Amino acid sequence: MSDTSIILMIFGVSAVSLLPRMLPVALLSRWEFPQLLQKWLSFVAPAVLGGLAALSILAPKGYIHISPGNLYLWACIPTFFVAIKTRSLFYTLLVGIVTMALLYNFAGI
Amino acid sequence: MIKNEELLIGIKDALPIVLGYLPLGFAFGVLANQVGMTVFQAGLMSLMCFTGAGQYIAIGVMQAGGAIFTIITANLLVNLRYLLFATSMVPHLKNVPPGLATLLSYGLTDETYAVAMTRYQNHEATTAYMTGLNITSHIGWISSSLGGALLGTFISNTDKIGLNFALPAMYICLLVFVVGKRSDALVAGISATLCLLFGFIFPSTMANMSNIIIATVIAATLGVVIDERY
Repeated sequence: MSDTSIILMIFGVSAVSLLPRMLPVALLSRWEFPQLLQKWLSFVAPAVLGGLAALSILAPKGYIHISPGNLYLWACIPTFFVAIKTRSLFYTLLVGIVTMALLYNFAGI
Repeated sequence: MIKNEELLIGIKDALPIVLGYLPLGFAFGVLANQVGMTVFQAGLMSLMCFTGAGQYIAIGVMQAGGAIFTIITANLLVNLRYLLFATSMVPHLKNVPPGLATLLSYGLTDETYAVAMTRYQNHEATTAYMTGLNITSHIGWISSSLGGALLGTFISNTDKIGLNFALPAMYICLLVFVVGKRSDALVAGISATLCLLFGFIFPSTMANMSNIIIATVIAATLGVVIDERY
């Protein structure tokens, strides 16, 4: 791809990735959401995080990989436990990352 | 003073995100370099697009010799989920001037969304907080991309130091945070199951992440139904 094409591509991708984030905020800021819609929207965050968490653990490389050989599956157990017990993002990340490093280097799977 | 404090909290809340972006941005920089992008172009793309999945797709299509049109269409699909994210955030942004809120939504990603929505459960959204959170995360993304593009050939394996688990660990923790009542937990579980199911039956939805959109719409709707009944 030529330099001009690359720059054109970057501008195009920029437009389609930024508009979906900015337009709703620009257009809906002054709008009072109906109660039922608010309730529906309040479930979006748990749903999105449920989906993201499941995919990042069970499909870490972009395809679904549910087997004992998937280290992410093992690493998520202590991570979940620490998240629930401490409710601290810092400790959760620490335990998650250290567990993963140990598994990767020593589990030999 | 309160403004400064909010800004600092935003920056602090962004640090785990930056940690998670390190390997991802780095990998993007390395791949961009391999596919023939200059360091400047890789940095520019991270500055102007800020879409992890989308930028990886761009690299993949370039590698395969695909067209710009393909890259842009795929990116449109990948980023459609933000329509939903941004809309669900709007009711929380009453104290942020609409113009600024729009501008700051430039930095809305899966990660900043998750962290911000967790905070907005019991704190007001403020311009200073959004600025700290979104801009710090964006700087993390840009600098790790630049780092990858510059030093790509030297460090090849971030798996060894466990960094690849930073984002999954963050999702797990934020999931625990946003689940406040039984119906939230049910919705998260339903969404997770549907996400995997769609991804399994239609693998193409994994690549463009439309499985997350479909699963979220269905699970949130079921959430309303469940909540009305019990």
